[in-house]
Amino acid sequence: MSEEYPLEQMAQLISAIRRAASELKELGGGIPAVGRNVERILASVRMLELNISDVLNVTEVSGGE
Amino acid sequence: MNAGIYWNPVLETLPREKLAELQLRKFQRIFSWAYKHSKFYRKLYKEAGIEPGDIKTFEDIRRVPKVEKAMMRAIQGKDPYPYGDMLCVPLEEVTEYHQTSGTTGQPVYQPDTWQDWEWLAECWAYILYAHGFRKHDRVFIPFGYNVFIAFWAGHYAAEKIGCEVVPGGVLNTEARILKMREVRATALMATPTYLLRLAEVAQNKLGLDPAKDLYITKIATGAEPGGSIPATKRRIEKLWGAKLYEHCGATEIGAWNYECLAQSGLHVNEAFFLVEIEDLETGELITEPGKMGKMVITAFDRLAQPCIRFDSKDVIQWSPEETCECGRTFRKIQGGILGRADDITKVKGVLFAPTSVEEVVRSIPELGNEYEIIVSRKGEVDDISLRVELLPEFQDRREAVKEELGRQLRVKTNLRFNLEFCEFGTLPRYEVKSKRFKDLRKEAK
Repeated sequence: MSEEYPLEQMAQLISAIRRAASELKELGGGIPAVGRNVERILASVRMLELNISDVLNVTEVSGGE
Repeated sequence: MNAGIYWNPVLETLPREKLAELQLRKFQRIFSWAYKHSKFYRKLYKEAGIEPGDIKTFEDIRRVPKVEKAMMRAIQGKDPYPYGDMLCVPLEEVTEYHQTSGTTGQPVYQPDTWQDWEWLAECWAYILYAHGFRKHDRVFIPFGYNVFIAFWAGHYAAEKIGCEVVPGGVLNTEARILKMREVRATALMATPTYLLRLAEVAQNKLGLDPAKDLYITKIATGAEPGGSIPATKRRIEKLWGAKLYEHCGATEIGAWNYECLAQSGLHVNEAFFLVEIEDLETGELITEPGKMGKMVITAFDRLAQPCIRFDSKDVIQWSPEETCECGRTFRKIQGGILGRADDITKVKGVLFAPTSVEEVVRSIPELGNEYEIIVSRKGEVDDISLRVELLPEFQDRREAVKEELGRQLRVKTNLRFNLEFCEFGTLPRYEVKSKRFKDLRKEAK
């Protein structure tokens, strides 16, 4: 069933969301309301990586560091 | 296949050879993470002479030292306080504290980062979706929200799925039943013991029939073996007029398997966990179905306090069914958790699993839900007793029930029990995990 879904394209978008969220955190310059909300976004991004991206190529461990 | 029955059709129907590749790569990843970030794991692996680059096959995984709960207890209470050096992240990254229930001794602390917590809810989302929980459900959770992890992640997962969640935390049992009726809850999560208790209180104290007067259609259960014991499952489904689905999990592991709508075994979430079954005596790997052994488990994606080749002491067996009508490719176990390696003991020279008694007690309609097994030693001889409650309306059938109970127990366990009938309502009632087996021989040592 995995062939029925555009996994490559989905994985690229997930990666783009991670990059965008991380850039946002940088731009936030230590604003707690930005940094902490981005952390939560990244935790959700990680779940997308575990569910989709890892099937193609196991992603590096991220978060919690 | 109807893709609408899966939380994630990509992983849940992944061909088995791809699943195995994924598992190996994910094991390498968590092993490297723990080696790099945890003093405890690095020391353990260095002493065994294994480094991250050494894990190339599943046979290599078998060489990785196991972790036991006693090892976790030994390091906890030390720096970084209170978790000790198994911790892989700075303390300030920990957002969640939970602890084991202490069923088998001193509780073990479980730290999680927010990402870990998302992961735990994700594991539970697989569970609840497989049980048929959907956005339209109103889920009642009659659970005392506290340091025990139990249904916390179920709460978050139900929200993630989009259900409406009604937390029944500080309410007492009667108030919980009335609240379920008031809000017309359609789904429920509780241990088998507490589901029976809720039904008993509804019937005997409130005059309500859960199957007719409440609106529950599906129930998620776990934390005890009952959900996979046919007689207990039948009893609960009849009392509630609802489908009962089981899953298994543990504080230090996560929620690692689940029953699907086919109700024919529990699918191991093999995309998130590696389950190995070892022979109880030889430690050899068991891959064939129907042979009981001890579970050794790895959670691939939990980072703060990784669970790598954890010797769970839970006794399980693979299912003979290689496929499932639901289409999931995740392998199934049969009968849920069959017991604890610690609890399976010899009585009068016979290997005895306490869970075998539950199937007998719950299959006799004249008996109440509660029971207690006591093993002791009289002189040099083992003695085993079973205390049960005869339902008030069947008091005139005491002798016939006693005979039938003794007969079925002999067939099931090869043991002759001393049978004691207690007044209905006098045996202990439990809200989370029950403690129905007492081996006084261990206490006497």
